[in-house]
Amino acid sequence: MSDSSHAATVEAPPFGIETKKFTMWLFILADAATFAALLFAYGYLRAGSIDWPRPFEFGSTIVNALVMTFILLTSSLTMLMAVHHAQAGRRPQSVKWIWITALLGLLFAALHLREWFRMFGEGWSLSANPLGGPVAFSAGFFSITGLHLTHVFIGIVALSVVAVKFSRGKLTAGHIETTGLYWHFVDLVWMFVLPIVYLMNAK
Amino acid sequence: MTDTALGPGPGMKLYLMIWVGLLVIVAAEVALTYAGLSRGDLLLGLLLLALLEAILGVLYFMHMKWENRILLFSMAGYFGLALLFMNHIWRDAARMVSMYW
Repeated sequence: MSDSSHAATVEAPPFGIETKKFTMWLFILADAATFAALLFAYGYLRAGSIDWPRPFEFGSTIVNALVMTFILLTSSLTMLMAVHHAQAGRRPQSVKWIWITALLGLLFAALHLREWFRMFGEGWSLSANPLGGPVAFSAGFFSITGLHLTHVFIGIVALSVVAVKFSRGKLTAGHIETTGLYWHFVDLVWMFVLPIVYLMNAK
Repeated sequence: MTDTALGPGPGMKLYLMIWVGLLVIVAAEVALTYAGLSRGDLLLGLLLLALLEAILGVLYFMHMKWENRILLFSMAGYFGLALLFMNHIWRDAARMVSMYW
């Protein structure tokens, strides 16, 4: 079979985008449904409880969550910088912004874990509510934020691997854009976690 | 595949404007939280603002605005259908919990 006849048998990529990008969109679609299921369940549990606790004080938890939000939103911007430089062929600058994005992700995770350990110290856990209300609150809180935090850690690992491989010339700008899609998705999920899990439970 | 095949995209100025817009929306969410609204109104307001953030993020940060429109409608359609099913399933699950607990 000649090259031209082979090319004719290869289908065009679906929706006119690179296959890896389309695959990432499919993953995001499935993952968004997973988070939506958790948030739906949380919402129904809350609606069905008359003594749902609202333990989050502005001065500690809410401010911490807002700082985390600022960091995550900024990390999306730095990821966009990385994609922008990668597409312009400026590889070293792109790698630098990928590492900055990963560092911001680490900072987000550190603040998140600090908040968790403060709550553990107050007696909160997956199966304990020190305020005496339904344990579904703490189970829901740690499940949803835990799943999101897991995504952040996976994102940090992915960014690190991509940064190293891109700096060695083994990946293209398309890979950076696809990794960026995942990172922006993690950011967007937090845009729902913040109001539903934190702000709705503010004192 | 070459890097130039990635398609058009916006400049950093637009990204910066969207980033500021998202921060403003977060500030609006906090203001709503402490505005003394009923829980139902607060939830509705916060969800609408979160949805606006998601739309901005998907269209501009995730470049969906510059992708094939069929991709956008396919993704939105499938996700909307999934949410509809969840709404049905969870409501029934909540009903059964109230029956047996």
